[in-house]
Amino acid sequence: MNENGSFLKRIRKAFDPDGSLARLGPMYEALESVFLARPRFTRKAPMVRDSLDVKRYMMLVILALMPHYGFGVYNVGRQALSAAGRAPDFFPALFLGLSAVVPIVVVVFGVGFAWEVLFAAIRRHPISEGVLVTCTLFPLTLPPTIPLWQAALGISFGVVIGKEIFGGTGRNFLNPALTGRAFLYFAYPAQISGDGVWTLLIDGRTVPVDAFSGATPLSVAGGMERLQDIHGVLLDSGYTLSRLLFGLYPGSIGGTAAFLAVLGAAFLVLLGIASYRIILGCILGLVITAGILNLLAGPELLPYLSLNPFYHLLMGGSMFAFTYMATDPVSSCHMQGARWIFGFGIGALTVLIRVFNPAFPEGVGLAVLFMNLFAPLLDEMAIKARLKRRVLNV
Amino acid sequence: MQLLRIKKGYTLRAAGVPSLNLERRKTPDTVAVVPHYIPFIKPRLAVQEKDAVKTGTLLFADKHWPELKFRSPGTGIVEAIRLGPRRILEAVVIRLDEKETHESFEPVSDAALETMGKADLKSRIQDGGLWALFRELPFRNIPMGANDPPGIIVTLGTREPFEPHPSVYLNDASALFRFGLRVLQKLSGHVAVVLPSKYAVPSTLKEAVTHEVSGHYPCGDAGVFLYRTKTDPKHNRTWTLHGQDLLLLSRFLREGRYPTQKIVVTAGPKAQNPCHVTVRLGAPLRHIARTSGSDGAHRFVVGGVFTGYPASGEDYLGFHENAVVVLSEDPTPEKWAFFKPGYQKPTYSRAFWSRLTTRLLPVDTRYHGEERACIGCGYCAEVCPVDILPQFTYKAAVIGEMEEALAHGILDCVECGLCSYVCPSKIDLVHALKRVRADLYREEVHR
Repeated sequence: MNENGSFLKRIRKAFDPDGSLARLGPMYEALESVFLARPRFTRKAPMVRDSLDVKRYMMLVILALMPHYGFGVYNVGRQALSAAGRAPDFFPALFLGLSAVVPIVVVVFGVGFAWEVLFAAIRRHPISEGVLVTCTLFPLTLPPTIPLWQAALGISFGVVIGKEIFGGTGRNFLNPALTGRAFLYFAYPAQISGDGVWTLLIDGRTVPVDAFSGATPLSVAGGMERLQDIHGVLLDSGYTLSRLLFGLYPGSIGGTAAFLAVLGAAFLVLLGIASYRIILGCILGLVITAGILNLLAGPELLPYLSLNPFYHLLMGGSMFAFTYMATDPVSSCHMQGARWIFGFGIGALTVLIRVFNPAFPEGVGLAVLFMNLFAPLLDEMAIKARLKRRVLNV
Repeated sequence: MQLLRIKKGYTLRAAGVPSLNLERRKTPDTVAVVPHYIPFIKPRLAVQEKDAVKTGTLLFADKHWPELKFRSPGTGIVEAIRLGPRRILEAVVIRLDEKETHESFEPVSDAALETMGKADLKSRIQDGGLWALFRELPFRNIPMGANDPPGIIVTLGTREPFEPHPSVYLNDASALFRFGLRVLQKLSGHVAVVLPSKYAVPSTLKEAVTHEVSGHYPCGDAGVFLYRTKTDPKHNRTWTLHGQDLLLLSRFLREGRYPTQKIVVTAGPKAQNPCHVTVRLGAPLRHIARTSGSDGAHRFVVGGVFTGYPASGEDYLGFHENAVVVLSEDPTPEKWAFFKPGYQKPTYSRAFWSRLTTRLLPVDTRYHGEERACIGCGYCAEVCPVDILPQFTYKAAVIGEMEEALAHGILDCVECGLCSYVCPSKIDLVHALKRVRADLYREEVHR
């Protein structure tokens, strides 16, 4: 560790204000502070400060996402092996998954961090930890077959348009990772939607073996003919509730594991990082809206209307987005009461987009972005209501 | 006695809390009056360097309201008049003589107090140089002019981790305290004595306490109490003073001498033998607190870790302050800081292991992080004892939206410092609010 310190000291010189790399000072500071917390002392009251800082706050989110990476790597490999008609053994699946996921992660982190450093150097603000969370979330929402240049383009859009042009982490009003994801969806729908993109094809194949169905539960449910029994069709495709819960089916890299998202939600709520109001609001909104649609359902109408609310909750990326995207403190509501409504809106919109808009098989990302836009308005209303209760003091 | 439960706030589990033992310090060589930290006064000096002063001799008075007087806490020679930047009067230092002589004032007996008029009583307190013990909410300025308070709140403690306990400073002082309450009742019909329920008062004073408040720091604060009990905007200008200051006031009136002693705590993780001490008013900090251990730097804080100000050992105890805290200020960088579980890290959040334990934890003067933009975690609003939304009020304040800041209740702010304490982005919220509050006060005075 001492060596570490002296090594840092040596390269520090280059980043000093008169050093050759002075413009990249923020990058050095960010890297150094990972290993060494240089003390800054209070001069104004209060003389003591809490031990928690934004860095730890964000690192805990990244920590909660690590199981999703482990799961995602395995699942990508497993689906690829199944699609090639080979036995989905653990280690081959793992290596296959790593070979697909690691390049995406490396590209996303490299490009995302480069934008952050560029903006930090030009605007002379410190590098914020938020970009690390964005770069960690973004690959998990992508299909494993995404071309690397698209991943780079997506994270660029997310970091620059979703965040940096508004002033960086804390001043953005949209979730940057979802902004990038939505950009890719609208710009390159061929590579990010349909049944073909969610499974990696190996051995030079262009189509999976016949026994393998690459359809995601969302596309099965969305492509339903009238008069079909939706639960029966899902079951025929192998989508039982427990399979949806454990997430071993084709989908985005880390978004399908609903059970991991539930554990992650519990972890983050226990640590006080994520708001339980938002997560419960989302779940309530989704279950209640889907329940109402169940009441409207009839044999002549869309079969999707009659889908059990718990299928809605477990399939696709809804739990993942509720836990990690909706709870982004910056772009969500800041008032406790408004957070319930904010969450409820996300849950309700998720179901409505899925059922009534066949162009978007997965609605949760758009639902979060849409409610992000409404968050300031909901906050404003909650603040107004609250200020009315005060005894005037002017 | 009424019970009041205050849900918000935060109790810092800091090591180095003072024991209930009372120690006595010898008379120091020098004492000083520190006008720098008395809010909103403009001192005009009445003495020069080398002047001889008695205990109770006028040192300076306020330029705009000369009835606001400050008198010498000791007998001796004015050794130094310390001026700060732009000739701000920082301190008047007096080197004490061996023998003490007092300026004499007319004592007030119990019977005389019964018949005394309000104006007479006020002018005696003002002439005695103790009017500055009163503070007027919401700005906590010293009330100037002839206005009468809508009520007076006597604070016995706020549950700051380092403050004198009423069971110590009210011990053997029941008669003085009662006398003081009668004085206050002369000034205002509504006198509340507020005691945090974690503290005790001597049994003879039990029925003098009108309200007991349970909750975390700063539950016993006058501003918090007022916020919870006020029903009308005209209550906002209530006066307040600390229980110990009430003792100073009644000692002065009864004995006809300027009081010279009070009980403060010396505490903090780096203080040797944290306890209560009887000290001279305006004593040097190094005389009051002794530092323990020789490892690394430390800092003196006058008046509690949440509301106090930094000082060195050569500085002096302020007029309103009751605590001298010694904190570590170790400049060694911490390695692998955010990978650690944090068994020893005090925190409001739940992001460290220490939340699972109940032991007292070392506190220091580090920020524990770099400044960032607000990420909207909402911790500040969770702890604010007067239901302000600091994250929004502060934004309104820094861009100068006064109307909005006022609607948010910036005048209810008790400046407890908890919002700045909990902020993971290390934003100096309370500092921004304080600055705007000070501007609002000055605007009001010049109207």
